Amino acid sequence: MPSTLHPLTSLTAAACTAVITTAAGFWPLSLAVALAAAGLAGRAGVGRRVIAAAAAVLLPLGLSLLMLHGLFFPEGRTVLAAWGPARVTAEGLAFALESGTRTGSCVLVLLLFSFTVSAPDLVAALAARGLPPQFGFVLASALTLLPAMAGRLEAIRAAQEARGLVVGGGVVSRLVAVRMQMVPLVLGLIEDSGSRAQALDARGFGSPGPRTAYRVLADPPVQRRCRAVLLVLAGAAVALRLAVSWPAAGLL
Amino acid sequence: MTRRDSAVALGADAVLTAQIGTFSLHGDTDPALREVDLRVRPGTLTAVLGGSGSGKTTLGKLLAGWLRPGHSGTLTGSLAQAGEVLEFSGAHDDPRINPSAWSDGVGYVPQDAAAMLTTVRSTVAEELAFGLENRGTARPDMLREVARIADLTGLAGLLDRDPATLSGGEMRRLAIACAVIQAPGVLVLDEPLASLDAPGVILVRDLIGRLTGAGTAVVVLSQAADGLARSAAHWLVLDRGTVTASGPPLQLIRSAELARTGAVIHAVTHTAVTRAPAAVRDAAPDPAPPAPVLELDGVGFSFPRAGGATGEPLLRDLDLTVRPGGIVAITGRNGAGKSTLLRHFNGLLRPQTGEVRVHGQSIAGLPAGRAADSVGLLFQQPRDQLFERTVLREVSFGLRKLFGKESRARAYEALESVGLSGEAGVHPAELPASKRRLLALATVLARQPAVLALDEPTVGLDRHGLEFLHRAIEDSAARGAAVVMVTHDLGYARVNADRVLELKGGRLGEA
Repeated sequence: MPSTLHPLTSLTAAACTAVITTAAGFWPLSLAVALAAAGLAGRAGVGRRVIAAAAAVLLPLGLSLLMLHGLFFPEGRTVLAAWGPARVTAEGLAFALESGTRTGSCVLVLLLFSFTVSAPDLVAALAARGLPPQFGFVLASALTLLPAMAGRLEAIRAAQEARGLVVGGGVVSRLVAVRMQMVPLVLGLIEDSGSRAQALDARGFGSPGPRTAYRVLADPPVQRRCRAVLLVLAGAAVALRLAVSWPAAGLL
Repeated sequence: MTRRDSAVALGADAVLTAQIGTFSLHGDTDPALREVDLRVRPGTLTAVLGGSGSGKTTLGKLLAGWLRPGHSGTLTGSLAQAGEVLEFSGAHDDPRINPSAWSDGVGYVPQDAAAMLTTVRSTVAEELAFGLENRGTARPDMLREVARIADLTGLAGLLDRDPATLSGGEMRRLAIACAVIQAPGVLVLDEPLASLDAPGVILVRDLIGRLTGAGTAVVVLSQAADGLARSAAHWLVLDRGTVTASGPPLQLIRSAELARTGAVIHAVTHTAVTRAPAAVRDAAPDPAPPAPVLELDGVGFSFPRAGGATGEPLLRDLDLTVRPGGIVAITGRNGAGKSTLLRHFNGLLRPQTGEVRVHGQSIAGLPAGRAADSVGLLFQQPRDQLFERTVLREVSFGLRKLFGKESRARAYEALESVGLSGEAGVHPAELPASKRRLLALATVLARQPAVLALDEPTVGLDRHGLEFLHRAIEDSAARGAAVVMVTHDLGYARVNADRVLELKGGRLGEA
């Protein structure tokens, strides 16, 4: 379900939350933000898709963090277990937990944004602020590329099933099916883009001069103020972090 | 008189003229068009008629700037629009056409209507407004124009719909509307009536009448000398890339040139008698009818809506029985659920209530790939059916599992049956639209299924193509297959089917 917020408000909220969480570097806050993002995704009806996409990004990342920092953390002093050169240290685990929750919260917040924002609204909002329409079209194409590819794959799968391809539930069967669908998918997308370019040209997309917009978005003052507050907060969080972590900070 | 002078003289009262010596697409050895002269006057309807591969689409795209001399191919000759004459000699210093500026004067709607759309607009209204936005039209004017054109094209009730969810006929009306809204002086329409239901046909014909009445020149490219073509002031008959005849319809309707090109010549009224039912034709003395090949029993279906809720039922408690040799035609309004119904036959869609049985066996637990052993489905759009790199690979897909070593012979047999055996090595995308549909048909025929489900099989076929289709349907019925075809061509349905049913309100009834 698309968000009812102005797209720039949700974009600012997502970006500022990611910045503040990163600047804070405090794992309970990161965890709380991640849980809140997951909860909001559930409420918006995109919980399963957000979690699935987050898992695809975070599981390999989490495993690599554990391997690198959990087992080989040079600064680790409190050894919990050791196998030859590999040592599990409390400090290493804490670092992995810190990095993992921080990255996890950022990924979840940004995924929540991308799964709930309405691509046409975002493009209209950016165009209204002077973004070139070609850039807006590329952005909209990028945001709708995955659904478009999914639709095309679905059509190819249906065509192949109608001619006897049996797609089973097993991983091997699915991989075989994906292999058979990749070449037609890529060739089809290339062919589509060629004819699409002709149609876009004919509809005046390449013409110079000013453009207007059919879609208009309400941007209530309260949301504009909210964005300003969020940006100030994010700026303050970064400044605070720099002040605390700056090597010279201790000398002041 | 030089070519330029003659073009100017010819174009004195014309809004668009083309004098084509030759036009060859890059990479092709033979020219796609030769010796084609066309002059289009404001407020007139011109029909370019020709069979499959006659060069209609190439001509249409060249006129509209979708194929540009120098960019897409080599042109010798001239194109003139709004008093500006462009001469081409095939040399590097030939003038260049700016497609955006050219399209201000000449609009084009391709045969594949979906290719006209941006794919990034979320509503029909925004898709319609795209061309106006690019020309900087003020928003109040844009709102008014979108409403007016939607009204003219019967899209007023669909303005908030996602364009991707439109049916084939609705999509065609949207594509036409997207071209009309830019108010070009010339509008080139490639097979504008394809996939339209009867009200859609009337609507588009009325729209063309209004446009010509308001001074727009309309050029229709068609395989059929149908009612729309007959209302044209001027015909151009194309055959293998060249004009073989031109003149008023009355002069050409019975001409040998038109017959030779393979154009379909519709009777003015359909007086053909409905095809006799299979049982009558065979005069079978057996009182017990053979067991049905295909049965749908109380089938109900609705597409899910966003958020997981179930939408309005498209099929409700629908029954259908087809016995061996039976040929059933299904008609109905655009968006009535006809294509959805066919996709239930092989399990690509599953009914929410009721059951589909093939040879008495329910296909409920059967993967679609297994049900396909008995059910062949011709998709509405060949682009949804074809995915391979060559014609032979396309028709051979999945045959080995069914026929083992015989699969190659079956593939060639199927290509032969639709007249494509000479094009086995060609890429399907390089075939003209009519042959693409025949290739899609061959992929179905090669499997020799017990049930043939054909979605709009006649669309875009010329007379030769229709003959191949007719023979394929008759041969399949003769070997005991059940044939179900969805079509808007009621005349074709009455002549070729035992029963003509209408899908209305989710149920099938006598048409």
